[in-house]
Amino acid sequence: MMFAPSETSRSRPVIELDGLSVALGGRPILHDLTCALHGRCIGLLGPNGAGKSTLINTLLGFYPVSHGGARIFGRDIRTDLHVLRHRIGFMPENDSFIANMSGVQFVRYMAELSGLPPGQALERAHEAFFYVGLGEARYRKLGTYSLGMKQMAKLAQAIVHGPKLLFLDEPTNGLDPPARIRMLKLIRELRDTEGVHVMLSSHLLRDVEECCDEVFILKDGRVAAQTDLEAERRTNRRFLELETVGADEALVGAFEGLGCECAAFGHGRFKLVLPDGAEIRNLYRVAAEQNVQIRRMTYRRDSLEDIFLKAMESPSAIGARNGSL
Amino acid sequence: MTPLIESRYSEDQLIRFENVSKFYGDVLGVNRVNLQIAPGVTSLVGPNGAGKTTLMNLMTGLIVPTRGRVRVLGIPASDPERFFRVVGYCTQFDSFPRGVTGREFVYDSLRLHGLPHRQALDGADEAIERVNMTDAANRKVAGYSKGMRQRIRLAQAISHHPKVMVLDEPLNGLDPMARAESMALFQNLGAEGLHVIISSHILHEVDRISDQVIFLTSGYVVAEGQVHGVRDEVTDEPVQILVRCANANRVASRLFCEDHVVEARMHEDTRGVLIRTRDANRFYELLNRMVAEEGLEVEAVTPADDDVNSVYRYLIGSEGVNQ
Amino acid sequence: MAVYKRAYRPYTGTLTPAWSRFLVLPRYAFSTLFRSRFLTSYFVLCFVPAIIAAGIIYLWNTPAARVLLGGPSDNNALSFAIDGRFFYYLLRGQSGMIFLLAAWVGPTLVAPDLANNALPLYLCRPFSRTEYVLGKMSVLVILLSSTTWVPDLLLYGLQAVLAGGNWFWTHGHIAYAIFVGSALWITIVSLLALAMSAWVKWRIAASALIVGIFFVAAGFGQAFNAVLRTYWGYLLNLTYLIKTVWEDLFDIPAVATVSRRGNIPWQDMDIPVGVAWITLLLLGFCCLLLLNRRLRAKEVVRG
Repeated sequence: MMFAPSETSRSRPVIELDGLSVALGGRPILHDLTCALHGRCIGLLGPNGAGKSTLINTLLGFYPVSHGGARIFGRDIRTDLHVLRHRIGFMPENDSFIANMSGVQFVRYMAELSGLPPGQALERAHEAFFYVGLGEARYRKLGTYSLGMKQMAKLAQAIVHGPKLLFLDEPTNGLDPPARIRMLKLIRELRDTEGVHVMLSSHLLRDVEECCDEVFILKDGRVAAQTDLEAERRTNRRFLELETVGADEALVGAFEGLGCECAAFGHGRFKLVLPDGAEIRNLYRVAAEQNVQIRRMTYRRDSLEDIFLKAMESPSAIGARNGSL
Repeated sequence: MTPLIESRYSEDQLIRFENVSKFYGDVLGVNRVNLQIAPGVTSLVGPNGAGKTTLMNLMTGLIVPTRGRVRVLGIPASDPERFFRVVGYCTQFDSFPRGVTGREFVYDSLRLHGLPHRQALDGADEAIERVNMTDAANRKVAGYSKGMRQRIRLAQAISHHPKVMVLDEPLNGLDPMARAESMALFQNLGAEGLHVIISSHILHEVDRISDQVIFLTSGYVVAEGQVHGVRDEVTDEPVQILVRCANANRVASRLFCEDHVVEARMHEDTRGVLIRTRDANRFYELLNRMVAEEGLEVEAVTPADDDVNSVYRYLIGSEGVNQ
Repeated sequence: MAVYKRAYRPYTGTLTPAWSRFLVLPRYAFSTLFRSRFLTSYFVLCFVPAIIAAGIIYLWNTPAARVLLGGPSDNNALSFAIDGRFFYYLLRGQSGMIFLLAAWVGPTLVAPDLANNALPLYLCRPFSRTEYVLGKMSVLVILLSSTTWVPDLLLYGLQAVLAGGNWFWTHGHIAYAIFVGSALWITIVSLLALAMSAWVKWRIAASALIVGIFFVAAGFGQAFNAVLRTYWGYLLNLTYLIKTVWEDLFDIPAVATVSRRGNIPWQDMDIPVGVAWITLLLLGFCCLLLLNRRLRAKEVVRG
């Protein structure tokens, strides 16, 4: 689950925003965004209307920049877009396909448009389908695909030309649980490939938490937070989640008696902040005294939720956060 | 099976499916469904095409069963006057009449329910307020983002104060805060005694807010009840629990002595052991005692399969991914 | 035993030259198009005028063959000559058929891309909107050219060879007229077909619209003329405009248009050639504007 970011990825930023401002239809959407993103997998978060899609579309070159600029892999998107597009792959959120082409034909078509010679395009198209796990279905027309298969086909066309930066917009949208787990596994594999970076935009914080090592949060078109999740995880050892059987409100009081901050969430769930020096053994002792069975005890998995909520509260606070919450 | 719900609830508090089957020509919707749904938050879980939407359409009276009977709070769908008053439906489809604003959309729906003008306006305002869309209510729906459209549809579904709310993937497209708000709303409604029926793919959210879960696959109900209860019913498989601790091998050998433990597997980093036991209760008692009294140092205890995710895996598995 | 792990590998091979990339579109389009038997048959049908013309040219230049078929052996007895007028009528016939071909094929090119939002996937690649339009146009241009000026120029060559002597020198302008006249018509029709199919996403509706606009505009033009007793309504009549241009190119005296209303004869009141050219080019330009407006990766919703 945890991995150390390689040294090379830390040295050069993947995406740099330099006072980037974008206005559409006369309305300013992005205001003066400035940051440098290094992560292997960068999570892009924000409430609806914050400008996430606008940012991705601008980095892809679909929208013009009004002020400022942005660089991907050190190259300016205003001048070097045609070079950059060889190295970028895009998986859009909405349905995007050509209904009367078969899966292989479609991905091969997209590969050739990215500059691959026809023979190589065919090989890589099949490789991409093998990688995402679509078997015989690749020979059927895209119009007959189910939602999960369409998502996989979208991912296949995004990776077929071997890009170094993947933009994935809500990749698990509409997928049922097994397909979602597979998609996240694929994303993690892509992230762990040498030299490949992923930018993941999603509303599901759990997805982002599982895959990303850096998050970039937008609010109202401005930077609300930029956080290194790896560092966060390392400092979060004092936050616990418990699931119990047979507990009632008295347990909260008992835990607080140990010096912990405690909150109950119904169905026997509790969240605790342990003070320094507190021992887990004491928790079990207290629970045993109350005849409560502790069935789950894990470290907090919601650190991202806290980071996000805090970012939404503060008025467009800019800057990296590495401290406690 | 779950404890007899009939004994706790009267007929007019249950949604009842009696031997319901629905076929679209040859194509199966659902087959031989028998359900009694109590008030509270109930989640429908299953792959796409499993029959969740069919079940919801049956519950809201939009289709009639090929066989069997559906009764919502004792009212059959053949009594539309009463039926549609108690049921509210929020579909997964994103279509709206052209050119309406948010407020107009909800207002129109209330007028269709027979409310006079003034009350419809007030009702619309109240519903819009509840989903936090007051600022944007006067803009055209065509200009809304996906999340806003989702919320205005929710407003329309709750505006006539139904007793049964059927919501098809209601959190689709909502940002984290809106998700949290909506989930809190559903939990409140469930606590007020409404039936809130939700279908969702996001299992950890289902886990958090549901009182009951119904698992569907290929048109059959494969399980229903409280999640923790359902896992206990799946008795073919021993329960799996992961214990992360410093000297895992000593813990493993100690636990393995117990007769209800069938497997103790070391985690590859040697800092954890995966236990499979036939009796979860005795295992936890033992583990809790080991920590509290015998000074065992644990880092984490995680049931590997007592949540919706695992039950889903057991019952439904990975079918439907590449069909 | 060696175990090969499935892994993602970046692409490090050669890339095709950037300028040739738009040709990917016609390659794929043709493979799909010619799977339709209906279309293939119609396409073959479009060659029929040229084949008939070839027969006529041969017969015209070969008295022996004519006699075998029971015709006169003297060239002067023939009621027509193989000259500008001959090729003019040939082109007119072909142009009607290829208009329908373009009206059918055009929407199949663009509508599927727009129907399911595939355009962002094109444009997120090193591929611009210009290349996209160029690629789609080239499908139509290739299809339509192969049934107009390519066979026509071959026929011209055939006539030049059979007639011998200085037929070539006295009729040089015909080759120019064939090429330029066809090119103009092909460009206009292709742009119109693409623009309409970008505007109307449903394929069949787009085809109907293209043909419909053709007739409706002409109808409006006639009504305009009749009501205001003028001839400027012909600006809306595509056939009339291209006829005017072709008549000038092929150096044929314009056929006077006589109003059928009452007995008021119009005295050779035709739209000047320059105006016809400008109108046609303006139409093409409008189509390009429409394409520019509709072919975007992302629509901006105002307000």
